[in-house]
Amino acid sequence: MISSEKIFSIFLIVFASTSLLIVVGIVISLVANSYPIFMRDGPSFIFKSVWNPVKEDYGILPALLGTLISSAIAISISMPLAISLAIFSAEIAPKSIRGFINSISDLMASLPSVIYGLWGLYVLAPILNQYIMTPLHQYLGFIPLFSTKPIPTNLFTAGILLAIMITPFSSSIIREAYSAVPYHLKEAAYSLGMTRWEVIRTLLGYIRSAILAGAFLALGRAMGETVAVAMVVGNTFTLPRSLFDMGYTISSLIANQFPNAEAYSYMVPALYGGALVLFTIGLVINLAGLYLIRRVVARS
Amino acid sequence: MKAYAKYVAIIAIVIVAALIAAFMSPSLQTSVERTVTVTTTYATTSPATRATSTLSGVVNGAGATFLNPQMQAWASKFYELTGGRIQINYQSIGSGAGQAKFREGILDFAGSDPPLKLEIYKEFKEKGGIVQFPVTIGTIVVVYNIPNVESGKLKLTGEVIAQIYMGEIVYWDDPAIKALNPELNLPHEKIIAVHRSDGSGTTRVFTAYLSKVSESWKNKVGSDFTVEWPVDKLGNGVGAKGNEGVAAAVKQNPYSIGYVETAYAYSAGLKIALIRNRDGNYVLPTKEAVASAARALVKVLPRADEDWSHIFPDETVDPPGGESYPITSFSFVILRQVYDDPVKVAILKDFFKWVLTEGQKPENIVEGYDPLPPEVAAIGLDGLKLLRTG
Repeated sequence: MISSEKIFSIFLIVFASTSLLIVVGIVISLVANSYPIFMRDGPSFIFKSVWNPVKEDYGILPALLGTLISSAIAISISMPLAISLAIFSAEIAPKSIRGFINSISDLMASLPSVIYGLWGLYVLAPILNQYIMTPLHQYLGFIPLFSTKPIPTNLFTAGILLAIMITPFSSSIIREAYSAVPYHLKEAAYSLGMTRWEVIRTLLGYIRSAILAGAFLALGRAMGETVAVAMVVGNTFTLPRSLFDMGYTISSLIANQFPNAEAYSYMVPALYGGALVLFTIGLVINLAGLYLIRRVVARS
Repeated sequence: MKAYAKYVAIIAIVIVAALIAAFMSPSLQTSVERTVTVTTTYATTSPATRATSTLSGVVNGAGATFLNPQMQAWASKFYELTGGRIQINYQSIGSGAGQAKFREGILDFAGSDPPLKLEIYKEFKEKGGIVQFPVTIGTIVVVYNIPNVESGKLKLTGEVIAQIYMGEIVYWDDPAIKALNPELNLPHEKIIAVHRSDGSGTTRVFTAYLSKVSESWKNKVGSDFTVEWPVDKLGNGVGAKGNEGVAAAVKQNPYSIGYVETAYAYSAGLKIALIRNRDGNYVLPTKEAVASAARALVKVLPRADEDWSHIFPDETVDPPGGESYPITSFSFVILRQVYDDPVKVAILKDFFKWVLTEGQKPENIVEGYDPLPPEVAAIGLDGLKLLRTG
């Protein structure tokens, strides 16, 4: 007779190893399927700027840069928003509306991305173009970042849309960590005569690792976002010259090109190659994130 | 002992992971999906209908997204006509994917904007042969967004369109465009050239047209599901996903130009350009202009069991005829000649015979598609006779 303890631990082992196995399986299939393109082109596949199915010539550099630029815009705009939203709902908002704010923010985090994409294309892109990008280009166009005459769908729009998409996501992680800070710490801080602002600052320092974790999870989501970005990023396969240039991301490249990829000999391997590069970047960023979080935890 | 167990565990993980990877890889996937076979039975009790005898069963097809609305309409009408005994499933997965899955033997038929490539055609020919024939006509329109120019007023030629997408004509008031439109007041604004970002049959046909009318387009760019757009390099090109994406981009960007399947131009309320046909007349894709183009092609079209890749779309765009609209395209159905199951053969014959006759009547044609002239439908009707069991 097996004890329930034993059964429980067997279940845990099975399910935990399943998710590990799936990740390893994904890596193996990415490598196996992208093998032909790396064999043919070598590393130049990553550093070339060309997507020419007619000549079966593929190099993903513009998509790689586009992924990094749009996620960088997204994360740098969304983190201040996410932290503010978390503090507002945990500390400042009246108790009666906290639940409401939190459920709205959680709803936003779970909306399907195609909805964000459509909204981004039909609503956000024209508004950004008219009220932000065009004025920035007109008055600050001498700065290289704003030098391209904007068209509504571009890397900047994609970055802003991504920021909107990931803010509720990282905000809820930060909010949970903030609310989990032991109450006596807060009381101790107030009893030392700290102002509300000083208390908040102290508590934020206390949850540094959660903020970092929220940022890295959000960054991962931004880099992997497919449908919404494909709708607003402009989808032109050239090296971006400014924030307002149209671009591509690896995920949107896959979304755009996969349906007819099988009509070519090397496009499927090239798309798998793109996926492998994206996976590797995600892995590196997450490892860096883990390292940072560990250091932060060790210091406090 | 513990260390030993650890190695066993690692080896086990790698083996299982390799198995998972194998199931994920497309080439092996087929063997799994193939087990989902179709159950077909002869129903003897139900009364015979006009369209078919007493067959019943299911056939599965997939492919071109362009064909999807029309195919769904045909399938549901046929389902009704046969009293629910014959079910035609069609999944909209893209022409390329449809052809690939058909080649792997998962599908009973494929829908595709372009016909099979020559190598694949030859491969099938050795294995019993294929039948491919047009089932409907689609037209591609060039749309524009110039605030002070009405729909149906801007006149363009294929060469000018090619030069715009090559980035050689940059402004709307370029002498080449002005010469075609002396009566219009064209602005000195940069042309934003919108194109598809996803691989598509629409791009294949549109670029085939540009290759046919412009030698330098043919040499520099060529024709395919996706091409490298020279205008993108200048920063004046926009890629948009799907016909609806192109329509939205043209609508949002003043002074833009784009190409979409006709139905999307009407539903988005876009302005449609007149295009000069081979005989020098400026035409819109009216029913007559499309039918004229299709009739002009009858002489050059091959038989259903022949290779179509050398004809379509490279030879079928820009057809002769004073009224003909130049950028017309067929959508194809591809069948094997030999099937294992006699019921399947009978169902495919019945259904596509109906599609090519009754299915071409106005009440069965979805908006945005054009019916085949009887001469073109005859290609498919002849081809269906080749279907057999073996």
